[in-house]
Amino acid sequence: MTESARKKESRSAPGLNRRNVLIGGAALAAGGIGGFPFINRMAVRAQDAPLQFWQFYAPGGQVAPQVEWFEKTIADWNDSHEQKIELVYVPNSEYINGTKLATSFASGTGPDIFIISPGDFLRYYNGGVLHDLTPFIDEAARKDFAESVIANRMVDGKIYGIPMEVEPMAMYYSVKAFEEAGLNENDVPKTWEELLEVAKKLTTPERYGVLFETTPGYYQNFTWYPFLWQGGGEFQGKDGKSAFDSPATVQALKFWQDAINSGVAPRQVLGNGANDATANLGSGYCAMQNVGIWAISQLVNNAPDVPFGVFRLPTPPGGKYVTVGGGWAFVANAKGRNPDVAAEFCAWALASMDQGSIERVVNWCTKAKSDMPPRNSALEAGSDAFNKGVMGIFSKEIHPGTRAEPRVPPQVYKIISDAIQQTQLGGADPQAAATAASQQLDAFLASYSGAPIL
Amino acid sequence: MTDQVADTGYSAERRGLSTKHREWVAGYLFVLPDALGLFIFLGVPMVLSLIIGFFEVDGFGAYRFVGLANYARMMNDPLFWKSARVTALYAVMLVPLLYVCGLGLALLVQKTTRFNAVMRSMFFAPHIVSLVVVALVWQLMAVDKIGVLSRLLSALGFGGVSLLGNPSFALIAVVAVSLWFLMGYYMLIFLGGLQDIPAQYYEAAEIDGAGPVQRFWYITLPLLKPTSFFVLMVSMVAAVAGAQAFDIIYVMTKGGPANATSVLILYIYQQAFGFGAFGYAAAMASILVITLMLLTAVLFFFTRGGRFDHD
Repeated sequence: MTESARKKESRSAPGLNRRNVLIGGAALAAGGIGGFPFINRMAVRAQDAPLQFWQFYAPGGQVAPQVEWFEKTIADWNDSHEQKIELVYVPNSEYINGTKLATSFASGTGPDIFIISPGDFLRYYNGGVLHDLTPFIDEAARKDFAESVIANRMVDGKIYGIPMEVEPMAMYYSVKAFEEAGLNENDVPKTWEELLEVAKKLTTPERYGVLFETTPGYYQNFTWYPFLWQGGGEFQGKDGKSAFDSPATVQALKFWQDAINSGVAPRQVLGNGANDATANLGSGYCAMQNVGIWAISQLVNNAPDVPFGVFRLPTPPGGKYVTVGGGWAFVANAKGRNPDVAAEFCAWALASMDQGSIERVVNWCTKAKSDMPPRNSALEAGSDAFNKGVMGIFSKEIHPGTRAEPRVPPQVYKIISDAIQQTQLGGADPQAAATAASQQLDAFLASYSGAPIL
Repeated sequence: MTDQVADTGYSAERRGLSTKHREWVAGYLFVLPDALGLFIFLGVPMVLSLIIGFFEVDGFGAYRFVGLANYARMMNDPLFWKSARVTALYAVMLVPLLYVCGLGLALLVQKTTRFNAVMRSMFFAPHIVSLVVVALVWQLMAVDKIGVLSRLLSALGFGGVSLLGNPSFALIAVVAVSLWFLMGYYMLIFLGGLQDIPAQYYEAAEIDGAGPVQRFWYITLPLLKPTSFFVLMVSMVAAVAGAQAFDIIYVMTKGGPANATSVLILYIYQQAFGFGAFGYAAAMASILVITLMLLTAVLFFFTRGGRFDHD
């Protein structure tokens, strides 16, 4: 050994050289890999763990009464049942609109219980993950649900989702904006033409007269359907073929386009979108807004200094009043750890004739949110709340014309969405857009083999 | 035992490896963790994605082999071609602008002064902000009528212009936000390249009577070729792959209005996670990767592999 080598060896810490470091590293890695059996055992233990209920309200959601409602529901169940359930909060942006729910099912780890809207029903039903809830619902409770509300959660007479709420769309207006323009509640428009005229009077350099959704998505389609239906339009005929290429479609597309082209409606909306009344009507960005019943609690809680009124959707010449009612439903994962218990929970929570179940629906629709109930018994039990103030207008004038939100496969949604976007913001000819969309719909419907589109 | 081996302090005979081989093994061991990470988190998913592209995947565990059906569907899907066009347009606008602005900023703050140090930080600052925050702030500034930018345009006589709500302007607005976010980063890369150019070249050119434009044209630009190659390649890959565009577009426009900002990566995302068409999305992702590889190969070909030191 040379002198320099000896010096190097003497400088090295005893027992610490490259070789030892590598051996140590390998041992650590092996230890890490060896830990995997514990992870596997954890997975086995998870079989006994509480069932998971994914939603975007609790725990840790933004609206305290909604968080409390969910937490109380779960606590009541856990107090009286052996199989426990736990809430898993998934922010809405990561839920249906994001990747979490989709990737969990793709990897076979979907939640045991979750909530979906009609817009997503076919995707999950056709994917075979919705458990049949019918055996867990009494006939009396089944009849307690309005047919229009439960129909789009059913396939072949079986129930696959239990609605928590009905959320009809309407028009809201700012009382202050009306007064500034010399208008009052007697001037609320009843026809599309009147709506554009009133919107023109309400438009200022700082404010738009009326606001419709402009962001492409399921929600925009949802808000546009009533305008299609009011003229007698449908996207699918009774023969199963496209019915989209019709005068009713063209006039509905043109109505939204006219609102933009005349400068009375914005091309962009504020906040979380046109479903956000606080950010749009509440901020003074617009004087009238097309939004659902949930906006009552938004404005009352977040914009208490903005007096507002509501009126039902105006109609086209010769048209018939109709609005659309959305809303979410409890569903059980057929491929979950215990689908029967998950289904039993859904029925116990929302579809039992027990007083607790009815009260739960009333509380959700009156205290946690401002919605119409999907059950007749709940409408009766909460009649005080449902018949006063703005809720009263919804109950008496707006809700009676409610038609359930259509359930469509994603491909149909996209075709309709593109037609709306191209005409509303892209300046396309409504007739040409309707014809092109109808051809695409026909091509898709000819090869579609899932549950009926409603 | 040779002196060279003995000098390392280890017995080569005991291990049966020469110094060269030991260093070779050590080198690969050092690279191994990163290579493993790339293999597991990039290599394997890429291969799986390529395979999934030949299947119809419903997002609930059902796989059905469909051969080239997803690729055939792509050929007849107008939205795929529309998204491809939007992506190309985005890259064609952004890459040259990034090059010019990145280099321009680097030249502006090239000299080491206290003022320039502050300016460098300011130009780089957008890059450290979350893209979601960047997109939200710009969205708010561009809101119709009441946004700062809308008011500014109105004051300049362009009232009623909707930056994000009009298909004619929306992509330009997205390019502008991307440029604002990225140009500070490329400025730093150009600054590194500029500092590698020996000052003597400029002094000699000045003595020979070369003006600023000539010095830039005949010294700076030719000697920045390796940096330029890097910037063009990285920015092009980022633009086509939608590295930044996805976040910005997802927050600001969701691909609208009328699909005017629907870049390919957003359409792939929508098909996979919005519509559950994972097989079709994987096929489109494969085409996107192949396109990127081809573009990079072309760039390598025309620049002889990015080697400029033999000019």
